[in-house]
Amino acid sequence: MLKKSLALGIVSGLLAGIAGIIYARVYYTINESDFSEVVSAVKIVAASVFGGVLAAIGYALLNKWLRNSGEIVFNLCFTLISFASLMAPIAVSLPRTIETPELFPGLVIPMHFFPALGWYTLKPIFIKFK
Amino acid sequence: MSKLFYPAAAVLILTVSAFTFVAAQNWQIADGYSIGWSISGSDAGGIFKTFTGSIVFDEQNPGAGKFDVKVDVASVNTGNGLMNKHVKSDEWLDAVKFPFIHFVSRSISKTAGGYQVTGDLEMHGVKKTITIPFTFQKTSQGGKFAGSFTVNRSEYNIGKPGGDTGDQIKLEISVPVTKS
Repeated sequence: MLKKSLALGIVSGLLAGIAGIIYARVYYTINESDFSEVVSAVKIVAASVFGGVLAAIGYALLNKWLRNSGEIVFNLCFTLISFASLMAPIAVSLPRTIETPELFPGLVIPMHFFPALGWYTLKPIFIKFK
Repeated sequence: MSKLFYPAAAVLILTVSAFTFVAAQNWQIADGYSIGWSISGSDAGGIFKTFTGSIVFDEQNPGAGKFDVKVDVASVNTGNGLMNKHVKSDEWLDAVKFPFIHFVSRSISKTAGGYQVTGDLEMHGVKKTITIPFTFQKTSQGGKFAGSFTVNRSEYNIGKPGGDTGDQIKLEISVPVTKS
């Protein structure tokens, strides 16, 4: 289980990272606000893969401990944690060289849901429904 | 009478020309200035991005100097969008009603560590006389003024007194200038 969930976590994390980079480019084009100083492409991919791997470990452990309800509890936790993590970009203080910090949450908040979206989308390919 | 005219004229010309030598220099505010602020006992702090005004100053004759500078309150940047909104709101600096922080000097004098300027600081609709110590360093392009001072925000009716946020606001200023 851990092997499959890790593979899913890494692949969904990578895809979330790519989606994040594309979104950041689109966001920059629309708003002309450059946050590359704090959110570089490497950081987007690294954070997304980190989220995916963390989800994989959580998924494997929950399914081990809660045989019947592990899946439901995991999905609930993953969504709730994604929501809770929104506090970080809202509360963060950016370097004062960044002209428009008020546009930062608009860039990062959607990215916080990309690992979960990637996971839910790709899960049927990696882990067959019981 | 004619004997006295030429010596008197010479003295007058010398006196006038001497005053032109000690006339204070006009300085133009250059890019790269920094108007930073922080509040004691909290993480709150930021910068003001827009700073304008006129600076007349001469190291040899500081008394002839004059500062008249303005900070655009709406240009505040704390690094956080919500905090920026809060600082600009009527709870704090009220950027709509009081768009500028304005300082006009009354006197400038030399001190042991540099100089000090005494003048009127108008902030949030309250005008108070304060003294700001500062230094001036000549550079290849012109010079650089630097100074820091503390104001009590309660004296300017900024925010609610007490609470989690300290009363003392420390301002740190660094202004490169070029000759104009």
